[in-house]
Amino acid sequence: MLRIISQRLLVAIPVLFLVILVTFILIRLAPGGPFDEERAVPPQVLENLNKRYKLDDPLHVQFFDYLGNLLRGDFGPSFKYPSRTVTEVIYAGLPVTLELSCYALLVAMVFGIGAGVIAAMRPNTPQDYVPMSVAMVGICLPSFVLGPLLILAFGIGLEWLPVSGWGESPGDKILPSITLGAGYAAYVARLSRGGMLETLAQDYIRTARAKGLSEWRVVFGHALRGGLGPVVSYAGPAVAGLLSGSFVVESIFQIPGLGRFYLQGAFNRDYTMILGMTILFAFLIIVCNLLADIAQIWLNPRLRKNVSAGGRP
Amino acid sequence: MNTPADTNYEKGRSLWQDAFSRLKKNPMALLGLAVLVIMVTLALLTPWIAPYSYEEQNLALGASPPSATHWLGTDVFGRDQLTRILYGSRISLMVGFVATSVALCIGVLWGIIAGYVGGRVDAVMMRFVDILYALPFTIFIILLTVVFGRSLLLLFLAIGAVEWLTMARIVRGQVMALKHQEFIEAAVAMGLPRWRIMLRHLAPNVIGPIIIYTTLTIPSVILLESFLSFLGLGIQPPQSSWGSLISYGVETMEEYPWLLIFPALTLSITLFALNFLGDGLRDALDPRISKD
Repeated sequence: MLRIISQRLLVAIPVLFLVILVTFILIRLAPGGPFDEERAVPPQVLENLNKRYKLDDPLHVQFFDYLGNLLRGDFGPSFKYPSRTVTEVIYAGLPVTLELSCYALLVAMVFGIGAGVIAAMRPNTPQDYVPMSVAMVGICLPSFVLGPLLILAFGIGLEWLPVSGWGESPGDKILPSITLGAGYAAYVARLSRGGMLETLAQDYIRTARAKGLSEWRVVFGHALRGGLGPVVSYAGPAVAGLLSGSFVVESIFQIPGLGRFYLQGAFNRDYTMILGMTILFAFLIIVCNLLADIAQIWLNPRLRKNVSAGGRP
Repeated sequence: MNTPADTNYEKGRSLWQDAFSRLKKNPMALLGLAVLVIMVTLALLTPWIAPYSYEEQNLALGASPPSATHWLGTDVFGRDQLTRILYGSRISLMVGFVATSVALCIGVLWGIIAGYVGGRVDAVMMRFVDILYALPFTIFIILLTVVFGRSLLLLFLAIGAVEWLTMARIVRGQVMALKHQEFIEAAVAMGLPRWRIMLRHLAPNVIGPIIIYTTLTIPSVILLESFLSFLGLGIQPPQSSWGSLISYGVETMEEYPWLLIFPALTLSITLFALNFLGDGLRDALDPRISKD
């Protein structure tokens, strides 16, 4: 187990390094410098700016400087707003985005697995069709449609819940979490239905039934652990999707998370901001994939035997 | 779009008839197909059938709810919304089809080469796919639009470059299963060059999974484009796609809900149609089922 984890870690580190390198080069390739303003900056000022941000060093020196700073948790200054650093922005935005993503993941797992298990218990009956049809609707309603519709219905129409902000008024976290989680809940429902159907057809389930266990114990005590394999392997990509999906949800509900700063950075061409945040997102996603891999191996002992580095089913 | 499918249609006839008869028993998939055909036809014919011209404004009218003259209402500039949705569907569907084709070409070639050549080449190629899988792609596309500016071509390439990974995996798996069968051995014995075996003998035999996955890739591409356009990073004005129409509708949804509801409905119906068709095709073409 430990060997596998360390193997995965050894793969993850070069990947992260590669991401940093590629992002860094891409940003340097971008047309126009970070100090291109509407009116031309005097050459002397430009030179001083370049010196201050060390843009006149050779590229590889800049890169290793940046990398060294990253390891100390320093993402450098923002090019557009010299008064604040990228690190400060990340400190402010990351907890919000992570919290939103966690709630959304919770929504996705609870509703998704629930619906999937219910459907798999009686396949091809209304108990199967109804939750799966709802799941289909969930897949076809993107968050940027669902969010505004929820706002119209529950915020403006019924006036039950607040429609913007995060942690400012009670209940303002409900709509964003549902908006972000719904699509994933739908996928999870389909995956867990498939996984459960396959597991419920296996011999050890027949044995469990033959022992006279209640259906409840068969499903939750025996089948669930095997049936959730597909869901667990989907969890890594799902978290990645949740993190980038939070961009839209944050902009719809005016939530001060990372996504909003990232978009601001994208529109302002704030290169250091984009660079830092891309690396941060890549890091988070690689970590999540790693955790998903480990969880999968823990759930399915058969995977422990022949693990080649990085290979996912 | 699927050139291999077209050229090999005659050879695979029995399989296709078989699959089509199964598809015909699936009403939702047929409905999806019908909706899709209608959507594509409307999009293709838009310049001739759109009730108004794309630029036509009527500032005196302003935002008006659906009426006899403007079926789906007008926006604040008095532009006919039906016309705008029709033109938007040209962009959205085009991005969907073109970017999917890019993904299709890369993914199929990658998968066939990795699967057929095997060994170390396979290991390196698939490890590369594994690595790319772990990257935050939506974020990467945003980064690319920042670096290279927002153009339609970039959008095609960027989305296509993201979506080929799963295709490559699926195709590789199929090729691995096929490559030891007699007809491939026969082709090798005949002394055919490798590329010819890959393109003429292997590719047509993995068409089934490719079609299924292509049908399911198109909606996710359309979704990704709408997502970017919604954020203002995809299609730029004066052009508009469903995503940018929805984003525009969200801004004014309290006063003029129809500006949100109709583009959103169009997008969702299209996604529905494609997903149902994809699921139906999977049931009809899945090799594991069709071998029984």
